[in-house]
Amino acid sequence: MSQRYYEDVNVDDETEPIEKLPTADMAVEFFGRDNPTNPAFADAEAGKRMGIGGALVPGLLKLSWMTQYVSDWAGPESNVRNLRVAFRRPDVAGNAIVYAGRVVDKRQEDGKNIIELEVVTLADGQPSVRGNVQVELPSRG
Amino acid sequence: MSEPEQSLITDEHRAMIGVKSDPVTVTVREEDARRMRDILGDNDPRYADGTGIAPPYVIAMFGGGRGNARMPQVLPGGLLTQQEWRFSRPFKVGEELQAITQVVDVRDRLGGRYGYSVLVTSGTDYYDAAGEHVGAAMITITQFDPKSARDNS
Repeated sequence: MSQRYYEDVNVDDETEPIEKLPTADMAVEFFGRDNPTNPAFADAEAGKRMGIGGALVPGLLKLSWMTQYVSDWAGPESNVRNLRVAFRRPDVAGNAIVYAGRVVDKRQEDGKNIIELEVVTLADGQPSVRGNVQVELPSRG
Repeated sequence: MSEPEQSLITDEHRAMIGVKSDPVTVTVREEDARRMRDILGDNDPRYADGTGIAPPYVIAMFGGGRGNARMPQVLPGGLLTQQEWRFSRPFKVGEELQAITQVVDVRDRLGGRYGYSVLVTSGTDYYDAAGEHVGAAMITITQFDPKSARDNS
């Protein structure tokens, strides 16, 4: 993981897409065995009854991956400050999700260097989650 | 259910906006942090065992946005449609936080995939032992009538 600096980031910069492959087991393990979860997370049949077509991928899992995606892009001296997402369509376990992003703003706020990215998850080329993520970067100075 | 001629949101529902819940204690658990890191494949050294710092997404284990606040139940169906996380500082493994939840907004939505629906937004703020803000989670649930949604599909 390399460090990215505020001065080196420009609006419209794109982040390298990465692919994640969620499974139904991941959904169960993500919440821990003791936690109640939506039956559709682990049971493809329950998901089909809900019209999803298979086991549902938890939104919190997708949001966590998005946090990691931006944090890895930004580097070890960065801090993710805010994520705001809209869930556009469900994702089904076993189908790959691609994370991709673009810088939409850079600004200094209260002495901090803030980069804002639009991040989207794509499943079969269609967006399933759209998010805006703010991350604080160090300065070279 | 066809589109209602007027809002189904009542004064009783609106009265829930801004009412803060009693604080609920949540703990930043090491086992949660480790399990989530493993599942996500997160090798960030900042959150490795022994650092005492949990990855920010451990907030997913706090039940954020729901808490024990009373939530308006206008329509029977519900779907998580928006979510927000905010971080004021990193979470420390083992620390106890006080979670306070409140309804932030309740509003009608006309048309769309679910027909008439109601958007209920709630938020939970997390405070440390010194009373300092550590993070927050906000969710929007789209409430809808399943029959109306089918009619609109």
